[in-house]
Amino acid sequence: MIDIIKFNLNDKEISYTGSASARLLDFLRDEKKMTGTKCGCKEGECGACCVIIDGKTVNSCLVAMGSIHGASIITIEGYSKTERFETLSKAFESVSAIQCGFCMPGMLLSSECILDGNPKPSETIVREGLSGNLCRCTGYNSIVKAVLKASEKGGGLW
Amino acid sequence: MVKNLLPETLEDALTIYFGQPELVPYSGGTDIMVGSSCEDKNFLFINRIPELKQIRLDNEFIRFGSACTFTEVIENDLTPTILKEACKKIAAPAIRNVGTIGGNIANGSAKADSALIFMVTNSLLRLQAHGSERILPLRDFYIGRSKTAIKQGELISEILMPKQNLDNYYYEKVGARKALSISRVSFAAILDVSDDIIRNCATAFGAVSDVILRPSEIDNMLIGKSIKEAKAIKSTYIATLDKAIVPRSGRVSIEFRKDVCMNLISDFLESNGI
Repeated sequence: MIDIIKFNLNDKEISYTGSASARLLDFLRDEKKMTGTKCGCKEGECGACCVIIDGKTVNSCLVAMGSIHGASIITIEGYSKTERFETLSKAFESVSAIQCGFCMPGMLLSSECILDGNPKPSETIVREGLSGNLCRCTGYNSIVKAVLKASEKGGGLW
Repeated sequence: MVKNLLPETLEDALTIYFGQPELVPYSGGTDIMVGSSCEDKNFLFINRIPELKQIRLDNEFIRFGSACTFTEVIENDLTPTILKEACKKIAAPAIRNVGTIGGNIANGSAKADSALIFMVTNSLLRLQAHGSERILPLRDFYIGRSKTAIKQGELISEILMPKQNLDNYYYEKVGARKALSISRVSFAAILDVSDDIIRNCATAFGAVSDVILRPSEIDNMLIGKSIKEAKAIKSTYIATLDKAIVPRSGRVSIEFRKDVCMNLISDFLESNGI
């Protein structure tokens, strides 16, 4: 029987003995001080708290700590150290896809999963992949453009 | 602190649940983690139990493990197109990546989009408890608004979809937006016609009443009929459905729900030449 929750967070092994029903979002922000993961709605609507769990985007506000035993998690802090992030970030800058920035960590991680699953996505696939990430500044067209541009420029990265 | 909450096998989970029936089963978490009260609950985590993550075929059924996520269901070659289509319209990728079909059924909502498809296909639930199990038609599982027939200590382990011809289906989800949409009315139907005879006709209406409606007795009116015969009794069939569908008000009015249901049933019939 398992009595310690173990998982990998940004390439570091973590052993967690706190409450199994606590939220991953709160663990990241309050315990790990990884405040790049934003708290928007706490009900899975906005996507600001997106992280990547086992290669897939997940809203960390809806994840209880007990459910991630054995999982591998990447937050924006871990992702920002990668070449893929650099390419995406430059693409976002080049088409002015960033406004207030609050949705950006979630948008970038969703973009990573889109390109990881399909290095040359159509606009429809990009829009579908970003459909759970809300932007209060409503800059969606530029964000879609940025992902398509990263796909063009990132030859071989994805 | 987490001892006993993280079973590694289904047998372990059922044993723990038998001893601690106050635990709350946690499959995907996407419903149960909404709101602040979740943090006080003691969950029984069943999301990574291998027996609950399989999709397989036997002589009679496509067997879906209850902890399969919507994404896993969509990506599996055994999944019929009608179920893939409904699952693709649920929420957004980050929800579909963890939300499960078992959870969608267990929460007892008439708006559950994957449950609508399991209902129209006359699927069965395999309910397992410590030392016992039973098979229950999904139709009998829903007994009222957010009320189900699940017994203390039982978990939904599999959803059994009878093998059948699902090539000719009709599915429509009416919501307020494209993504992250909650059904305001949903409708699924199957019409299997061969040699001009209707071999199977099944309809189901979601988000209309306290439970998903599956008017099989009314649908039986069309089974065994030719298209021409079905046309002749179309108005009686529609009028009978009209009486049987009693919507409740919610995010939209009773009248809206009724109108949409009747429009969808007409469109389903007309698109099949009836």
